[in-house]
Parts: sequence; C-alpha cells; structure tokens
Amino acid sequence: MTSLRTEIASRPAIVALRRGWLHVVLVPLALLWLSPLVWILVTSLKARTEVFDPAAGFWPQVLRWENYPAALSVAPFGTYLVNSILVTGGILAAQLVTITLAAYAFARLTFPGKNLLFTLFLLQIMFPIYATFLTNFVTVRELGLLNSLPAMIVPFVASGYGTFMLRQAFRQVPTELADAARLDGCGHVGILWHVYLPLVKPTLIAFGIITVVTHWNDYMWPLLVTNSEAVRTLPIGLGLLAKSDSGADWTRLMAATVVVVSPLLVLFVVFQRRFVDSFMHAGLK
Amino acid sequence: MADVVLQGVSKAYAGRPTVHAVDLTVADKEFMVLVGPSGCGKSTTLRMIAGLEDITSGRLLIDGADVTHAQPQKRDIAMVFQSYALYPHMTAYRNMAFGLLKTTRLGKVEVDRRIREAAEILHISHLLERRPNELSGGERQRVAIGRALVRQPKVFLFDEPLSNLDAKLRSRMRGELKRLHSELGLTVIYVTHDQIEAMTLGSRVAILSEGRLQQVGAPMELYMRPANTFVATFIGTPEMSLLRCAVKPEGEGSLVQHERFSATLPMRAGHADAFLGVRPEEVRVSRPGEGLTRGIVERTELIGAEALAEILIGTDRVVARMPVPEAPDSGAEVSVFFDLARARLFDAATGRALPAA
Repeated sequence: MTSLRTEIASRPAIVALRRGWLHVVLVPLALLWLSPLVWILVTSLKARTEVFDPAAGFWPQVLRWENYPAALSVAPFGTYLVNSILVTGGILAAQLVTITLAAYAFARLTFPGKNLLFTLFLLQIMFPIYATFLTNFVTVRELGLLNSLPAMIVPFVASGYGTFMLRQAFRQVPTELADAARLDGCGHVGILWHVYLPLVKPTLIAFGIITVVTHWNDYMWPLLVTNSEAVRTLPIGLGLLAKSDSGADWTRLMAATVVVVSPLLVLFVVFQRRFVDSFMHAGLK
Repeated sequence: MADVVLQGVSKAYAGRPTVHAVDLTVADKEFMVLVGPSGCGKSTTLRMIAGLEDITSGRLLIDGADVTHAQPQKRDIAMVFQSYALYPHMTAYRNMAFGLLKTTRLGKVEVDRRIREAAEILHISHLLERRPNELSGGERQRVAIGRALVRQPKVFLFDEPLSNLDAKLRSRMRGELKRLHSELGLTVIYVTHDQIEAMTLGSRVAILSEGRLQQVGAPMELYMRPANTFVATFIGTPEMSLLRCAVKPEGEGSLVQHERFSATLPMRAGHADAFLGVRPEEVRVSRPGEGLTRGIVERTELIGAEALAEILIGTDRVVARMPVPEAPDSGAEVSVFFDLARARLFDAATGRALPAA
C-alpha cells in the first residue's frame, strides 16, 4: 500500500524528469558556453581598475559605454571591418563555386584518375593548415600579392573539406532526378543549378557558416601576409589592442571584441532559423 | 506521334555485353511492353532509347530520324520513372512546367494551358500547388505522367511506373494508362517485370532475357504460341509444365513418347528430344482408369474460384487448374488428359519451339 502510494506520488516527478531531462543537461551546458560571452560583454563596460579587482564584484559600478569609442579610436576599425567583409565574402563566394563544381564531378562523373584525385582532396583535409603556410607564402609572394586583400583570399579559394562535404550530399540525391532533368533539357550546369543545389541547401548553409566563422576569425595568415593598416582585418586589429605599450587594456580589448564578434552572432541568429528549418525539411522528405 | 526502330542495338559495360543486338520496331500509336526478369536488360534498353545510356552499337530511329547519338532532349521523348523523379523542391505545377520551359519556346500562356489540360485529364487540378512530399504515391505518379503529357512528345517511355504502388492502386492506374493510351493515341514503350501488366497493357509485348530479345508479339500470341521454353514458362501463372519426351514423325503428325505415355500430335516436328508444354488449363483430371496416363497428386491448392493441383507423372510434374469441387485430394491417384490440340513441343537442346516457325 505504502509503496503503491509513493509510486503514484513520484510519478509526475518521473514524467517531468523524462520530458525535461534534456533540459536538465542542456541548460547548464548552454550557460557554460554562454559565460565567456557574458564575461566579455560585462568587462567591456567596466572601468579599468574593476577588471581584476575581486572586491569590485562581477557587475560594473557604472556602465562605461565610452570604452567602445575609445577602443575603436585606437585603430581604424572601420577599414578593418570592410577588409574582413571583403576577405571573408570573397573566400566564401569563390569556395562555393569551386566546391560545387568539384563535388559534382566527384559525385556524378566518371573520369580517369578520379579516385586518386579525390584521395588528394581528402589529404588536404588531413594536413594542418600551418603545414602549408610556407609554400603558400612563397606562392603568394611570387604572384606579387603580398600585403593586399587577394593575398588573404587566394590560398583559400578551394576547400577539400567543402568538396568532400558537398560530394557526400550530392551522392544522396537520387540519380533519377538528374536523369529527369536531362530529359527536361538540362546539361550538367543546368542539373547542378536546378536540381542538385536546391536539394543540398542545408549542407551549403552549414558549410557557409563554418567557412565564414573560420576566415572571419583567422589571425595567423592575415598577419603573415599583411603589414599595412589599409589591408588589415579585424582579428589583427584586436591583436594590436592586446599588445598596446601599456600591456593589455582589457576593457577596450573586450569592447573591440564585442564589435568584432557581433556581426558573426547576428549572422548566426539570422541563419539559425533557416538552418534548423532546412534540416527539418530534409528530414521529412 | 511516330514509330521507333531499334536496329541491332547493343550495350556493353566495360566490354561486358548486357544487351545483345536488339531489333525491334514500335509502330505509331502502339503500346509496346518490354518485359523480363530483373537484369534482363529491359531498363537498359529503355534508357538507351531515352538517351540516358550510350548505345554501344546499332542504330536507333525515332520517326525516321537517326537519333542514335542525339542528346535526350533532342529526341522528342518523355519518360516516367519508377521513383517518379519529381523535383522535391518544386510544386507539381512547376514540375510539369520545368521541362516545357527548358526545351521549348512556348509562351507562359501556352505552358499554363497545357498544364491545366493535362491536370484535367489526370484529375490532379487541385494538387498543382502542392510539393511532391505533400502528395500520396498515386498522386505523385499522376503528376509524373502529367509532366510527360505536357511535353506532347513523339514517344512516351515508362520505366516500371507502377511498381511502387499498392496492388489496388496499381490495377486502377493500369486501367488509367490504358485509357490515356487509347484516348490520346500515344506511342508508348513500357518496361515492367510484371507479366500481368505486360499482358493487360501491351498491344504487343517484347520479352527479354539475359539481354536478348526472346519473342515479340500480341499478348495472347505469346501465351498460346511461345517461341521457346523461356517465354513459355515466363508468361502465365502458374507456369507452363514441360514434360521431357521423344518425338518422331508419324503420318501427318508426330508421335510423342513420354516415359509414361505416348500420344499423337497434329503437327510435324521431325526426330527430336523435346519438351511437351501444357498450360494448367489444358490439363484435365479424372478418376483413375480413363485418361491418357496416370499420376499421383502431390499437392492441391485452393485459391478461391479455382484449384491448382500438382501431379507427378513419372519424374515430371504437371500443374492442373480446375474448379474447386473437382479438386482431387493430395496423394490420390488420378487419370490425366492433355488438350493435345493446343499442346506445344520445344527442342530439348535449344529450347526453341517445334516445328521451327
């Protein structure tokens, strides 16, 4: 009798746990992931003395918005922002063209040396990017591109990873659809444009996000190939702040960081809905 | 509409031949069915006609024009695929419009008129704004047929279009296709592995096996006068029974000697080792003591309106079809008659019908 009663009593709790266990796990994780971002935001509004003073507490005494203009006045962040957009946008646009064509060839065409070539593409994924820095640097210098925007774009116009990802997605598209498109008067480009690309949109968006984040945040390569302010990108601007003569100015650094990452965050929030939607759609097919 | 002529059309993949020199003429407004077991080359043949596979050797003529190496869109054909192959990201309307806009210079108004008309014929007018994933299997099939109809091509190609539908829907769509063919006067080449579909739909049926054309003819002609043992056993359910026997001429006909009986057939066949072929409905069973020979009933199946009995005669098995009340019990000894006027002989070595036609 007693055991029965406790069983009934505990039932709603079990049901709630069953329904909510995912939240129990995910909410703390989400908070953990969010915490650096919150810290950056909070620090960007503090006075310099508050940053590492345990007595000052977590929140700033006064919201010091003036950190933002101060940070942005240290370097021409407007130019950096434009450069970052041009470089990241250029890489993304070029990559989308090259990986689409290459992935289609690998997924649907037969030609001599296809397997060998594809293996080489896979190898490119496995090599750490730093291993190719030297040769890339020499190539870019030979091309006379040093200290220019193209120097930051050209080495990344092709992507082994993107080609691989898209090839896998293309292979999921039924061949009968391509056959139907051929009968409907499409050549290879037509099939690609009208059939394959619309059907792999989720993959394209996922790849787009990955590549934008990677190249937006890239620090090493732009630092190597540029040395004038006119062609620098945002991450390098941040680096300048971190290395100011007086040591790192954390409040301004954090203010600038907020400025640098916010376009990415906005982009992600905008596309997130789209991203999830396309995956849901793909699942229903 | 137009005729389609295959002259020695062959296909080889990496040197391995899969379709051997097929000669076939499909007349204008004909419903030609290519049928055969899986892997017989029927789909490959259809895809070669469509231009989706290269023709290794031979010639293909559509409406008199040599299109052996023409691009698919230049052949004036339309195809309905087994999986329907509707573009998932387009509505039914756009699926039907896509090919028209790509291959013709028709104006939007004409395209719209054709789509509405085809939708009317196929009863899918209310589905035009839906996407394929919002349609049932039968509805998708209709849209796929509509996509072919709006093109108004010379030839329609169907690649097992009904095999993804359930039995009831399949029989309804069969009737529908038959209606479309006769009402619109279409030239159709239709691939299936289902002999019922072949028999009910085709004005003529071409039977393929292992990449070779076995026989072409009207459905009943194939049923009554199969050219070889493959056709004999492929068409008809249950299949034709084959009894091993020796044949020699006797008077105007032939004497057939089986291990358990001998009989005279009204045709001259010469000396040969042969198979005597009898269809289940050509076998009659009665009480012992009367018939041509005797047999032991191995198995009886009652399948509703009729019964099938498997009878052992010597070492050969014969299937007989009969009304349910006349079905013998398993294990019973029975007398067996054959309708010898309809029976056929096949050469035991080559499998070809005797006398060679």
